[in-house]
Amino acid sequence: MIEVKELTKVFRKPIRGEGLSGMVKTLFSRKYEEVRAVDGISFTVPDGEIVGYIGANGAGKSTTIKMMCGILTPTSGSVLVDGLEPYRKRRQVAQNIGVVFGQKTQLWWDIPLIESFKVLKEIYQISDADYKERMAFLGEVLDITRFLSQPVRTLSLGERMRADLAASMLHNPRILFLDEPTIGLDVLVKEKIRQAIHALNRTYGTTVVLTTHDMTDIEDLCSRIILLEKGSILYDGPLTSLKNRFGNLKTLTLTVPAEIRAETAPVLSEEIALAEEDGRLVLRFDADKIALEQVIQYAFRDLRAMDMKIADISIGDVVKTILEQQEAEHAEKV
Amino acid sequence: MLKKYKPFLRAGAIDTMAYRFNILMWALITVFEVACLVFLWLAVYRSSAGGMDAEIHGFTYREMISYVVLTTVFGFITFNNDTLWNINNDIRKGTVGNYLIKPISYRGKFAATSLGSLLTMTVMFGVPFYTAALVTLRALGFLPDLNFPGFFAHLVLFLISGLCASLLNDVIAYIFGVLCFYTTAAWGLNSLKTTVISFLSGTLLPLAFFPAGLRELVSWMPFAGMSQNPVLILMMKYDLAESLRCVALSTAWIVVLELFAKLLFSHAVRKVTVQGG
Repeated sequence: MIEVKELTKVFRKPIRGEGLSGMVKTLFSRKYEEVRAVDGISFTVPDGEIVGYIGANGAGKSTTIKMMCGILTPTSGSVLVDGLEPYRKRRQVAQNIGVVFGQKTQLWWDIPLIESFKVLKEIYQISDADYKERMAFLGEVLDITRFLSQPVRTLSLGERMRADLAASMLHNPRILFLDEPTIGLDVLVKEKIRQAIHALNRTYGTTVVLTTHDMTDIEDLCSRIILLEKGSILYDGPLTSLKNRFGNLKTLTLTVPAEIRAETAPVLSEEIALAEEDGRLVLRFDADKIALEQVIQYAFRDLRAMDMKIADISIGDVVKTILEQQEAEHAEKV
Repeated sequence: MLKKYKPFLRAGAIDTMAYRFNILMWALITVFEVACLVFLWLAVYRSSAGGMDAEIHGFTYREMISYVVLTTVFGFITFNNDTLWNINNDIRKGTVGNYLIKPISYRGKFAATSLGSLLTMTVMFGVPFYTAALVTLRALGFLPDLNFPGFFAHLVLFLISGLCASLLNDVIAYIFGVLCFYTTAAWGLNSLKTTVISFLSGTLLPLAFFPAGLRELVSWMPFAGMSQNPVLILMMKYDLAESLRCVALSTAWIVVLELFAKLLFSHAVRKVTVQGG
């Protein structure tokens, strides 16, 4: 269980002057700029939940993760991981959590992967029986057995990420923090990693906190998402209600004759937004306000559609819309 | 609890083994340095008022040459330490986070690595080098008779004080390394550390050559225990009581410096901003 209360992290960055004269000035008087990377956020993650922690770059996701695993100390507020403050009881907490930072590996670069695992076995004091069982499990779900004897520097990104993930799960942590575990990976490897996270969660009841920019990860894995923007929580709740936040939004993509243009096409209702994308006509509307059947008829009869694709609005679109709205509000204030 | 650090002890030992040819090259360079120092001291004694029979600050020329040779071997074996650079690397590359999320102490990791390295250095280079130096110096009549069991007690105390010296050197390197959290001037910090240690530890010049006041002050600092004292114990210039006092002083300093290192690290880590996101 993770309890986050009024968590705030302020970074002080020295403001450096430009050029030589600026450098000299900096030597004598230092001015600091305060950056509120995380600004008073609160949430609780119960045991066994998979939470998606999303937001734009620089929203404060990684900073929060680093405070939750004891690397950074909060400026104010608190984090409790199973009742302990990670930045005070760092070693105790470390024994029960696993962390993956997708951007950089935690494995020893020059030694064979299996040796890295053996080092971790000793660091976490894993018994022989547990180690065997865990290696069998991870070998299967992450498919790492093939390259165990290779030095980490010779692994491909996909292999390295699976290895890193295995390393973080080796001591059977109660909580797993994954900071962009699928960054830069191909679809198949992403799929493998998602399956592994699922398997771990089902088998051991591991709590998972996951940050990602890949909305498929979120839709596949997370029952709950926390949306962060500029250090504050914009949304915290189930995935489905975020999707329905803007109503039952649907997208119809049509292939139409060339003479039908978005500006000149016959209009059925103000509720339907028309746009041209890649030579196709795209209709966006709220199916709670105007019946799908009616729109389809309109598409075939008035727009002379030759082909049609219906899709629910993607979580990516929702997040994009929310962030755009925020941006607009912000711009108005300034 | 200490079993957790076994892999780091092993890694330190293996890494040092891997660099054995570099170390051998370094040993060769050191031989030339010692030769220079020997000739320098011979010239000093020859031109002194008492000539070759003179005793300068309690050292005959025979003792001085033994001292120079043995401090050089001692420094070579004991001060093979990468702690400061490794901490600096961890900070610059942001890999310090990798250790912060593991249930081990950052200090413990470095202490174990350095001990592993010391182990390899002692077994692989220490045993042959010390033996060669002692046998040669004895054969030339520069050292007193190394009669057992009297010498044996000194040898044991020398080994203990050598271990203390290595730990002192490592904790000081660690403290300077942690200072890299505040300023990224690792190169300057390392030069400062090396200069202070080689001057105050008696590696350049025995502390007996210092002015009385400074000598008294330095004798209470941890540095003499890092080079001069262990060598004088081995040369049997110190009697057993004096040797034991030296070991006790070094042990006390290890405790003090380790506590300071712990406080400093917990302060440094609070203001750490892990590089790269």
